[in-house]
Amino acid sequence: MSGESPMEAGTEYRRIAVMGGVYSNWAALGATLEDAQRRDVDAVFCLGDMGGFGPHPDRVFPLLRDGGVHCIQGNYDQSLASGRTDCGCGYTDPRDNHYALVSYQYTFRNTSTENKAWLGSLPAHRRVKLGPYRLLTCHGSPRVVNEFLWESSTPNGLIQSFLDTHDTDVILCTHTGIKWHRPLARDRHLVNVGVIGRPENDGAPRVWYTLLTADAGLEVEFVPLAYDHEGLARAMDAEGLPLEFAETIRTGWWTTCLENLPARERSRGRF
Amino acid sequence: MKPPLIVLEERQRAADAPSVPFRHLATLWVQITGTWCNLECAHCINASGPDSPWLPPLDGESVRRAIREAEGLGVKEIYFTGGEPFLHREILPLLEEALAVAPTTVLTNGTAITPPVADALAALAAAASYSLEIRVSLDDVDREANDRVRGRGAWAKAVQAIQRLHGRGLLPIVTATEIGPAGGGVGLYGQFRDFLRDLGVEKPRVKIMPVFALGRLAADTGERLDEDSLAGFDTSVLQCSDTRVVAYGGVFACPILAGLDGARLSTGSLEASFRPASLYHPACVTCHRTGMTCRNG
Repeated sequence: MSGESPMEAGTEYRRIAVMGGVYSNWAALGATLEDAQRRDVDAVFCLGDMGGFGPHPDRVFPLLRDGGVHCIQGNYDQSLASGRTDCGCGYTDPRDNHYALVSYQYTFRNTSTENKAWLGSLPAHRRVKLGPYRLLTCHGSPRVVNEFLWESSTPNGLIQSFLDTHDTDVILCTHTGIKWHRPLARDRHLVNVGVIGRPENDGAPRVWYTLLTADAGLEVEFVPLAYDHEGLARAMDAEGLPLEFAETIRTGWWTTCLENLPARERSRGRF
Repeated sequence: MKPPLIVLEERQRAADAPSVPFRHLATLWVQITGTWCNLECAHCINASGPDSPWLPPLDGESVRRAIREAEGLGVKEIYFTGGEPFLHREILPLLEEALAVAPTTVLTNGTAITPPVADALAALAAAASYSLEIRVSLDDVDREANDRVRGRGAWAKAVQAIQRLHGRGLLPIVTATEIGPAGGGVGLYGQFRDFLRDLGVEKPRVKIMPVFALGRLAADTGERLDEDSLAGFDTSVLQCSDTRVVAYGGVFACPILAGLDGARLSTGSLEASFRPASLYHPACVTCHRTGMTCRNG
């Protein structure tokens, strides 16, 4: 596995907060960090895709750095850092690719050279100790940065092979934008921590992050988070980002990039 | 049955061509009915049809064996194709067994999606742990244009299948090739989406595939990939890097080339096929150029 940081040396946490997909949503990021501190977490982790979708991408970096957030790279971060011409999101439908390109070009133009370099310095994975549990963090999957692990399309056999291959007890991922948790035999788990950058296609503008606590067992709590979504949507409008993006922030329904959703997840949304 | 000389020639080409390393088994395809189909489409990539299929169907036990082996190998998704999968007498129980292991997709022309079959599929989808995807082939939103390619009456039956599935809460993926007068790209996606919305499908799902110069459209242009064409190219985007197809006669590199000697990687187990796949065929040029995948997304 390339780009992996070693086990965070000597650090064993009891409770951590983990978020995915910031998508330039500085308002939700600020609210997440405050909320996590109130809940007495030992550390905060972010599983990548700092930019994209939202406005003013440079606003999230001081929050991440000053907040001491342990970050890894997402596919968006890899693309920005390496100067690629697209986000590497893995869409096939031209409509999805159109919106992805609008978002990527805006984010590329508005991310400073310094911040792109910082994204390039992030590891692709981290290994973390939470009580007795060995955690592996990744963006898409442990093997491919832009692999989608949806709840309805991720078989137990695949999760087991990931856990065995990477010799870990818990895999934490994001990338899809919808949270889920599957406990398996022998107290092993996969947790998709969701994203804080946009709501999860359930008709509510709140976003979600995840608390993990090592107690008698592994406790996984998905935390709903209200934030100033209207302020963010207005900033998106002012920046000339697609109206469909702001509509998602305001309504909670996804309006673009729907083609990769499996039937079950797609059927739950409005579009 | 092909003459031995052609088989040898194809194997030699495969040996001489550049190859793609195998990464992992993401996708298992099951060529369940071989090339047995009740339609005879003008552009069919494997020249499927109702008479004397050149690639025979698989028996149920072979399919079960492949599913069991794939589960142990950490497969991510399973696809059933043919021919027309719903001509196989065990298709529904085999779909149920596949769905117990992984998300499963079945590719169909829709002609056999009767109300009882649609009911059974809806019940399977509701009971399964993983998503059931149904891909219905329709090559043009215009009835006559579609039927010129797919045969008389094919449009009406495919549209009826889409409506039956939609009526039961399933979200079929309508799959078209770029063979029609509209060509491909954004226009074709938009055209199909509008068509489906007009049918009352509120969440239209569309997949567009390029046309391949093989099967009934076989035409050897002499184009082949060589080592130079792969310089700086990320071969992990090619589906043969993480896909295998179980069909009559063995395990093959991809669904496009299933049944062809040059693409056969094993005559036994699935795991034995986990070795580099040769990019020997003109169809490999299309995948290399378009980045297409036979998967849903």
